[in-house]
Amino acid sequence: MQFLQATIIGVSLGAQYALLALGFTLIFGILGVVNFAHGGFYMLGGYVAYSCVAYVGLPFPLAVLIAVLATAALGWVFELFLLERLVDDHLATLMLTLGLYLVITTGAMSAFGPLSMDFRFPVGGSLHVGTLYLPWQNLIVLGVCLAAIGALWLVLFRTDLGRGLRALADDRAVAMAQGLRPKLLFPMAFALATGLAGLTGALVTPILSLSPGVGDPVLATSFLTVILGGLGSLEGAALAAFVVGLVEAFSSVYFGGSIGALVLFVLVLLILVFRPTGLLGRTVRGA
Amino acid sequence: MHNKPALFGWPELISVLVLAAGFFVPMYTRSVLVYSILNQAFIGVIAAQSVWIMLRMNLLSFASPAFMAMGGYTVAIAGQHDITNALILVPAAFLIPALTSIPLGAMVLRLRGTYFVLVTFVLSQILQLLLFETPGLTGGSNGISGIPPVTLFDMEFGSNKMVLKFACGLAILATIITGVVTRWFRQPFAAIEENEVLAESLGLVVWRYKALGFMVSAGVAGLAGYSLVNMLLTAHPTSFESGSAVDFIAYTIIGGRATILGPLLGTGILVYATNLFGTHGQYAQGLYGVLIILVVLVARGGLTGLVQALLRTVIRRKA
Amino acid sequence: MKSTLLAAAMMALPVSAFAQNCEMKIGAMGPMSGGAAQWGLAMLSATELAAAEVNQTGGVKIDGKMCKVVVVPYDSKYTADGAAAGANALAAQDIHLIIGPVGAPEATGIKPVAARNDQIAWNASYARNALETKYPLMFHIGPGPGGWADPIIKRAMKEWKFSSVALVAPNDQGGTDTAIVDAETYRANGIKTTEEYYQRGTTNFEPIVTRILASNPDVVDTASSPPGDAGVIIKQLRLAGFKGPIGRLGGPGTAEILRVSGGLDVVQNFYWFETIPTGNPKIPEIDNLYRKLLGKDPVGGSAVWADLPAARLTLKAVQIAGTDDAQKVAAVLRTLPVEDPNIGQGRWGGKKQFGIAQELEFPFGIGIIKDGKDLGVTQQDPAAE
Repeated sequence: MQFLQATIIGVSLGAQYALLALGFTLIFGILGVVNFAHGGFYMLGGYVAYSCVAYVGLPFPLAVLIAVLATAALGWVFELFLLERLVDDHLATLMLTLGLYLVITTGAMSAFGPLSMDFRFPVGGSLHVGTLYLPWQNLIVLGVCLAAIGALWLVLFRTDLGRGLRALADDRAVAMAQGLRPKLLFPMAFALATGLAGLTGALVTPILSLSPGVGDPVLATSFLTVILGGLGSLEGAALAAFVVGLVEAFSSVYFGGSIGALVLFVLVLLILVFRPTGLLGRTVRGA
Repeated sequence: MHNKPALFGWPELISVLVLAAGFFVPMYTRSVLVYSILNQAFIGVIAAQSVWIMLRMNLLSFASPAFMAMGGYTVAIAGQHDITNALILVPAAFLIPALTSIPLGAMVLRLRGTYFVLVTFVLSQILQLLLFETPGLTGGSNGISGIPPVTLFDMEFGSNKMVLKFACGLAILATIITGVVTRWFRQPFAAIEENEVLAESLGLVVWRYKALGFMVSAGVAGLAGYSLVNMLLTAHPTSFESGSAVDFIAYTIIGGRATILGPLLGTGILVYATNLFGTHGQYAQGLYGVLIILVVLVARGGLTGLVQALLRTVIRRKA
Repeated sequence: MKSTLLAAAMMALPVSAFAQNCEMKIGAMGPMSGGAAQWGLAMLSATELAAAEVNQTGGVKIDGKMCKVVVVPYDSKYTADGAAAGANALAAQDIHLIIGPVGAPEATGIKPVAARNDQIAWNASYARNALETKYPLMFHIGPGPGGWADPIIKRAMKEWKFSSVALVAPNDQGGTDTAIVDAETYRANGIKTTEEYYQRGTTNFEPIVTRILASNPDVVDTASSPPGDAGVIIKQLRLAGFKGPIGRLGGPGTAEILRVSGGLDVVQNFYWFETIPTGNPKIPEIDNLYRKLLGKDPVGGSAVWADLPAARLTLKAVQIAGTDDAQKVAAVLRTLPVEDPNIGQGRWGGKKQFGIAQELEFPFGIGIIKDGKDLGVTQQDPAAE
């Protein structure tokens, strides 16, 4: 029974990580940018949703929507005005996003203080089947995550916009020769990714906790997942997210907290030894 | 094919002189605050140089806290067995991380630049975990405290003044090592920085230079760890958290990547600025963020680049 | 003519007005940024209050002169090197007396450096070596788990029937030091105990909750886990269907725990260690005193009350010794009876646990929430040595 419970937990974790990893790898694949501020957008999503609920009194789903739009907008603006100038210099963009992350966390700390907020998910209680349990909120979040992944897939593979983004990721020079305009599409890609991070934050922080520091582990997990899945590969990121979620769940349940984390890291390192580009990665140009 | 480069240039000389001036500070002041800030700066400079070495090849390494921990804990464990002689411990603090970096490098250096960044980030997290999981060796979450002070010949570096002098000495040693290595391998490093694939296709055995750079970077970081543990007389996991890598990277980038003066200037100014923040320490990170953004957007050469540009316009005007 | 008038006017001024140029500085150290900021700021508020009280009566007499007490804060960021740097920074300003630091890593970091600088420090940590015989200038704001775990466990056993407990704590020094002592004390009371450590930085505790519940404990105790984490653990335990009581041995932050976990209805049955018996009405009076003397609100909640006696006693020792030299002040401190105008009678403890009796032990509080109702905090004396 513990096995089944661990699997359920692993899948829920996997769905959350997938949303984050997809956004991260999208930015890398299309723009070549390592978004150090990814955890910051997750945290902002939580705070925006919290502010809508606590200060404006909006219903939770609306707050989540606003959080998505806010983080997407911030991402758009950041890309357009700051990142765009240096988009080909990988180190520079990495430093820019790092600087942004530091500013975002300090800003949240000044505005809201260092302690956790009272931010609750509107649905409580769990579904119990025998000794198995699945909190309703996890089920809802899982549903929303899967829907978002599905929607992302639709956008990327079934719309012109998506085709354009993928073309830019594959070979920017050729894509531009074909008439695609990065100046328009890059901010959109960045906004899409940060919006996903904000969505995850708005959904997950009420389940866990919301404080300025919640972005740090998100960054580490996104890194880990994307390394495992292969930078630039969307399918890799999704697959790796579920692998990471399941490994984390199983190793923590069976080996305890600290050893569990170690197992995960060592596993990733080992996989890297044998497949340096990750599970499904391919050598991305100029990486 | 390789002209012998000068092993020491102006930037290196200036750095060593500035650092050496630190030896004389105790003659002018007994202020423990000045000692404390200087000591933090001496440690920070070494760590920043460790980052700088890899940056010479356009590789950003987040592993400095991990290698610092290796150097620091080596010294602490030796201290527990009453080994305090600096002549033994300094090479040990350099060699142990350097040797460890070889197998790690074999795994990690094959990866392209961006992977390298992410994996070094993960490495520092792994090391923290290892520290917790090995209480018998490293004292686990409590660390190792009450280490005996460093000894060299007949001197014991116990008092605040002496600790400062030792830190100064270590910083000078690290600068010399960093300076010599980056000068000697200036061309291959620059080639890798410029375009790794091209360099390889032109016959450069890229992995050798990367491995060497990684080794020296790790060893230098080990020296920083030694200095830190010596200041605290304690090796504690909280001193080597993966987040501190951001600080050292900030010192280097904000100071300027072009010469060895960059890490020196960046560390000096930022350590001083952080101390000014005092009780509002959390805002210091925000300041770093803003400065990093500004430097990257506007002052690509960092503070040293700004100074150079300023000097150039002044000289041009005078001409 | 004018000059003699001026001279006469100057002679008429009270002599003490000139002597007020003299200042004695005292340091307040703790984490003042980040997640544990409340505890460091509490240390600061407590020291400020003690200083203000003394200044009201003219200050402290140092080397024959009446000096004003000035509080200098330092943010040690909950790390060993932060506290060490702090001791040096304060020593630079000629400060020999430090109230603080707060956390276990900080206590570890400050001990050798404060000894080197000849400074008194008062750490409030739960470190297992919070005091050591080789650091005679280190004092402890206690008691630590060694003093309060046992009475709280016995009280909990009276309210609820249980025979097994699972302790959950982070794997850093603050977590392990406390959890180990808690576990020993539970076992000494005949309770089967397991310890679960989680990696610091964990945000989702569901796997740990599953693991804990697999061994079917009657009670889950969150030890000294940060309040944010403890709140999530409790929330997820309840969602998983755990109905047993939850303990917290211990540490401040109950308010934040209730916020994160969802309130009294979710928590249902909870017992915790409260640093100060908040039930005693004279104690919250401290906040009013602070407001009156300093004109603003104190920061840090009940931690301020717990830290205050250390600051007050230190300043009293300074007044008796007539100097702020650490060795002399420490000698006087050790002889002072432990009594505080608001908190009451306490005692010097720590001989059995640390080998050196320099721990301030006052009555503390046991908080109980039973069946969703807050039964308040009852006063409890520390366990006999």
